[in-house]
Parts: sequence; C-alpha cells; structure tokens
Amino acid sequence: MQPTRCLLKRSAWKGPHIVPLPIVRYEPGKKVVPIRTQARAATILPNFVGLKFQVYNGKVYHDVTITENMVGHKLGEFSPTRKPFIYNKR
Amino acid sequence: MVFILGVNFQEQKLVKKALETFYALGPQKSSRILAKYSIHPMMKVGSLPQRTITALTAELSSMTIENDARKIVQDNIKRLRDIGTVRGRRHAMGLPVRGQKTRNQIQTARKLNRVERRG
Repeated sequence: MQPTRCLLKRSAWKGPHIVPLPIVRYEPGKKVVPIRTQARAATILPNFVGLKFQVYNGKVYHDVTITENMVGHKLGEFSPTRKPFIYNKR
Repeated sequence: MVFILGVNFQEQKLVKKALETFYALGPQKSSRILAKYSIHPMMKVGSLPQRTITALTAELSSMTIENDARKIVQDNIKRLRDIGTVRGRRHAMGLPVRGQKTRNQIQTARKLNRVERRG
C-alpha cells in the first residue's frame, strides 16, 4: 500500500484503534476456542497473528484466522455484511 | 520522429505531453523532469537536442513507470484479494469498492475493477 494512504487514514497521535479483547494463548495441542467479538473496528495488531477470531457481521459470526499480511487492517474487513445478489430463474 | 525510451513521438508534440503518455507520469512529475533538464514548458519534441533526449531516456529508465507501476497497483489489489477482505472481493467481482450504489451506472467499476487491473 502507498505510504500516504496509511498516513492519511488516522491521526498519528491517536495511534491505532485498540479494543480490549479477551486474548488467550493456547498451548500447542490443546483445543483452540476462537475469540468471539463484535468489535469490527478493532485494528489488527502484530500480536494477533495466528489467533482465530469470530467476527460478527450483524447476523452471523465469520471465522477469521489472522495472518501476517492482515496487520493494520480492521477486523470488520474480513466479515462481509452484504449478501451478493444472485438472480434466481425459478 | 523522435525516440524517447523506445517510443516514437511526432516532432510537433509538446515535450510535457510526450512525457505524460507514459503510465505513472502525470503533470507534476513531468514538469519536475522538464525543470531538472532546463527544458522550456512549451518546447516541442522536435527541437530537443540529441544530448537531452539521451538524458531523458536515462532518467525515465531509472524511474518506476509503465509496467513496474502497473505491477505495484496489481500487487496491492492481489494482496487484498489473498487475505480475503471485502475490498478484494469487490475487485474480483468487478463492482465498486468504496460503498457506492450499484443500482445503475457502475460502468467505470466494471471496466477497471479486477484483480489483474490493466491501468
């Protein structure tokens, strides 16, 4: 992404939009319970990488596994809120 | 006929306009180049000395223009698509990306928005 876009989206003094989320690190081998959240505006921080989230879109919770490329985006960007229109010819 | 970076230009074309035909060179960058090589803004391509043409070609070949610049745009879109964002999806579907209405008049989006964007 162009550096200017990143700079223009939010004032630097505010920092990223951080939402307190109940983040629990599981030992390898144990069953991972995804973090259920409605905080779509929460910025994905570098320490989220590898975690599983369930992000609400107003109706259902979408599973999102955070990878390295997603850092800096918002959680809501990975949970579409609209259903695509498909023409139904009976 | 004058060759700048392998492209043929008519002699009566303005140098500024000739530079702007390259992708990723707009009014601002082209006027900066003109200033750097002390070329008058109304100068025609035909009246350029051979030395300046060589210098211009060398300058342009060191910049990210044409396919390199297109590649940057395509990579950005591809990254959005690969991580599964809504924006990446809208690009793949050829629909408006920034929340515009889609009831009618989305010709520009249909033409431009795709994962392998041309320009």
